[in-house]
Amino acid sequence: MSMISQEEALKKPLPTPDGDSVELWEGLKDGKLLLQKCADCGDIQYYRQEMCCNCLSDNVQSFEASGKGTIHSFSVVHRAPGPAFKADTPYAVLLVELEEGPRMISSLVGSDPNTIEMDMKVELVTEKLTDDISLPRFKLAE
Amino acid sequence: MVNKKSIRGKAAVIGIGVSPLGRVPGRSPLWLAADATRNALADAGIDKMQIDGVMSGHSFASPFHRFNVALSEYIGIQPTFSNTYQVSGATAATLFNIAAAAIDTGLAETILISMGDSLLSGLTPDMALRSMTESRDQQYEMPFGIPVSNTFAMTAARHMKNYGTTSEQLAEVAVIHREHAMNTPGAQMTKPLSVDDVLSSKVVTTPYHKYDCSLVSDGGASFIVTSAERAQDLGIEKPIYILGGGECYTHEHIFKKEDITTTGAKRSSELAYARAGVTADDIDTAGVYDCFTGTVIMMLEDLGFCPKGEGGPFVSDRQITYGGKVPINTHGGLLSHCHPGIPGSLLHFYEVILQLRGQAGDRQVQGAELGLVHSLGAGFATNATTILGTESTL
Ligand SMILES: [Zn+2]
Repeated sequence: MSMISQEEALKKPLPTPDGDSVELWEGLKDGKLLLQKCADCGDIQYYRQEMCCNCLSDNVQSFEASGKGTIHSFSVVHRAPGPAFKADTPYAVLLVELEEGPRMISSLVGSDPNTIEMDMKVELVTEKLTDDISLPRFKLAE
Repeated sequence: MVNKKSIRGKAAVIGIGVSPLGRVPGRSPLWLAADATRNALADAGIDKMQIDGVMSGHSFASPFHRFNVALSEYIGIQPTFSNTYQVSGATAATLFNIAAAAIDTGLAETILISMGDSLLSGLTPDMALRSMTESRDQQYEMPFGIPVSNTFAMTAARHMKNYGTTSEQLAEVAVIHREHAMNTPGAQMTKPLSVDDVLSSKVVTTPYHKYDCSLVSDGGASFIVTSAERAQDLGIEKPIYILGGGECYTHEHIFKKEDITTTGAKRSSELAYARAGVTADDIDTAGVYDCFTGTVIMMLEDLGFCPKGEGGPFVSDRQITYGGKVPINTHGGLLSHCHPGIPGSLLHFYEVILQLRGQAGDRQVQGAELGLVHSLGAGFATNATTILGTESTL
């Protein structure tokens, strides 16, 4: 690993889509979180990969997640991982369990992070960061 | 399944050494590793030219992609077996397991295991933290501002929810580690610490406070491992044998792990116990990776020292110190002794080997013959266990 310059350390990391994930990030631009279901074994997967992680079949098909889930775990960050996230503290990183089964890492918007609890219901909100990237975040369900 | 071919007792640790530890300004990771190596060679009573294998791990503050090769050049040797292994915090135990296998199969006869890093003096705190987030996935984790501590914190939070583990029990882990460090010359943290001190220290990432988290330090550690026969020929007084090891890699992303309160340590230790022919109840003292207090509680369960979910009460009952079921991290661990990053778990090996040699002084666990070290990393993605013993355990 090479050293990171101070200037680079101040920038928030943006995802760089790759051959597996480009459609996920395209979908998020339209407010859709795409999951995949394997037509051979029925496995539902996130993150997106161009192969079923269970049976290794190519026969995986995209579908839009409902955007509903629960907080399987969370941790409220008070000490930011580097200068880029300092202004956001405290913020809640979530381990969301989607109602379709897979889990994902995300973060909470719209509520005081100190008020959340395990197993609360959450809903997807996409947040546009650049013309190319919208992040999947979650708010507490109505 | 356990392969019948076994490394049990085939290789032994004959030399151990550390560099200055804690805050060591003005010293490079290579110097720290090389200084520890001089000390390990002197301890073994052999010359550097007798080393034919070098195994190392990643250093954050060093620009070298091949730390093993850079270190070999730095100390002026040309090994014929060498690699830098990278499984984050689990690297230390994998090095011992692989060294034993390499010696048993003849790839090398005498292996230097060495690492050094300067997370405290070689990097600014923000850079060190940023280095930690760089190890998370750039698409699915990093954009959300997730330090590696946060991954560990989420497993602890769920453990608290599922099993009723409390913040006070987490704090007890830090308190006992501090007691141990107060007995260890050169430990970084030696002021008394109470449960209240832990709970009133700044929150880093819930449920972890400052004193629930390991230190940031500088340091290096080195070991000389050779065949059991060579140890005999050299007349080594107290060789410490590698009896068995196991590893388990359960996920890269924490969101792919089905049960986040049970880790790959369960499988890696089951393999290590089976290969060594011992059980958790037989272990006299252990080095248990203690990057965070909750990590220790989960490891006590997964390594089989107490039933699942009972790690909290096990700690509150002081079963992890002198007089308890299994004294762990008697040097003070990553929490209170020294945490120079990936090399940190080598210090667990250093302490357990001192204990097994009967050289731990005031910290000696009486009658320690069988020891275990568990190294882990990357939000429990990587797990490796090594079991060590004196001649009487063969
Ligand atoms: Zn499939």
